[in-house]
Amino acid sequence: MKAFTYQRADSTAHAAAAAIKPGAKIIAGGTNLLDLMKLQVETPSQLVDINRLPLDKIEETPDGGLRVGALVRNSDLAADSRVRQRYGVLSRALLAGASAQLRNKATTGGNLLQRTRCYYFYDVTKPCNKRNPGSGCAALAGFNRIHAILGTSDHCIATHPSDMAVAMRALDAKVETLNHEGEARVIPIAELHRLPGKTPEIETSLKSGEIITAVTLPPPPPGVQVYRKVRDRASYAFALVSIAAIVDSTRGRIHSARLAFGGLAQKPWRVPQAEEKLASAAADTVSFNAATNAVLDGARGFGGNDFKIPLTRRTLHSVLAATTRT
Amino acid sequence: MLIEGRRINSCLTLAVMHDGQSVTTIEGLAEGDNLHPLQTAFVEHDGFQCGYCTSGQICSAIGMLAESRTGMPSYVTDDLTQPQPELTDTEIRERMSGNICRCAAYPNIVAAIKQAARMPT
Repeated sequence: MKAFTYQRADSTAHAAAAAIKPGAKIIAGGTNLLDLMKLQVETPSQLVDINRLPLDKIEETPDGGLRVGALVRNSDLAADSRVRQRYGVLSRALLAGASAQLRNKATTGGNLLQRTRCYYFYDVTKPCNKRNPGSGCAALAGFNRIHAILGTSDHCIATHPSDMAVAMRALDAKVETLNHEGEARVIPIAELHRLPGKTPEIETSLKSGEIITAVTLPPPPPGVQVYRKVRDRASYAFALVSIAAIVDSTRGRIHSARLAFGGLAQKPWRVPQAEEKLASAAADTVSFNAATNAVLDGARGFGGNDFKIPLTRRTLHSVLAATTRT
Repeated sequence: MLIEGRRINSCLTLAVMHDGQSVTTIEGLAEGDNLHPLQTAFVEHDGFQCGYCTSGQICSAIGMLAESRTGMPSYVTDDLTQPQPELTDTEIRERMSGNICRCAAYPNIVAAIKQAARMPT
């Protein structure tokens, strides 16, 4: 680990002003950042600790949603009775992520901003356009079992590892930020993460000195909420494919469906056309196939991850069958 | 280890971030020669072989039991809305999945935790 200085922020504005300095990095839970610092993938010269800022509340919003402070720990969000009753998909997704110790530390804002777990991003002896722009992508022709099949580019095929963000994508959450000039901004979660394109090192639409302060959840949409995660072991592993589904149906007729996918792309993946195939459709193989085809439109495997295409197909069929059973 | 009674990974935090907070490691569990009930249970159930993971297993189990008493659900909890999920073997295994044992002493670790869970704290 490289030497760094440490300061504790006493206000969000102070943290944002400190974060804009070259080499400065915000630390919240630190469960990803400290790992990356040990490997010198991240080499900040200054850490700005925001853990003692008052951003750790979960509050009701006037419209019947919830506002989740950026420093609410993943475990506390998953255990909150309002989240468990109204946003089961989010609670389940949080509980599917990492381990209990990590969830006790990891924050709402930090979870959204965690980096990919691509092996080559972590290995500083290998080329990686995300870590070292222009150096190439070792995953393209390497071991790419865990990599993306959608939204990839010739420069990067990494995935975003979050489970929480996938559920928030299905819920149409909004991300609140504050910048170093004290300006607040609201970003739909669909626009927070970017696809790699030619600049995989730029992962979000946040600007320098802009800090996530909260995530707001709209009122829960009608329907059954499910988070299904498929992984290499039963617990404490990242998703190969995961699906956050909110499906409203009665007696075999689907009214509406929201489907967000993890493990497939650099951001939580959602395809409006797939959801349109299910809206007002009979819950049967025909509509399930149509939706699946729409989700996988443009999907491309890179050898090791070819299996993700049929795995996504089967997992989605299973989730749709389970959520339309009543 | 436990920070203010909550389990976290000591390798993924900085001491300076916890200035002024209570930090409990395996060394702080026994009172003199009196072992903590979880330490006793690990000895009685042979919950280890090489011992490398044991400090983490025991500290984590203490945090896990405290979480369970407050009604924390887990990924394998069928009904997330139930306020107090029962601590079955499946629940213990899921909740302890962040502590990996290379000797695979898992059956005995689960037995030790079940015994300690029945003790008053």
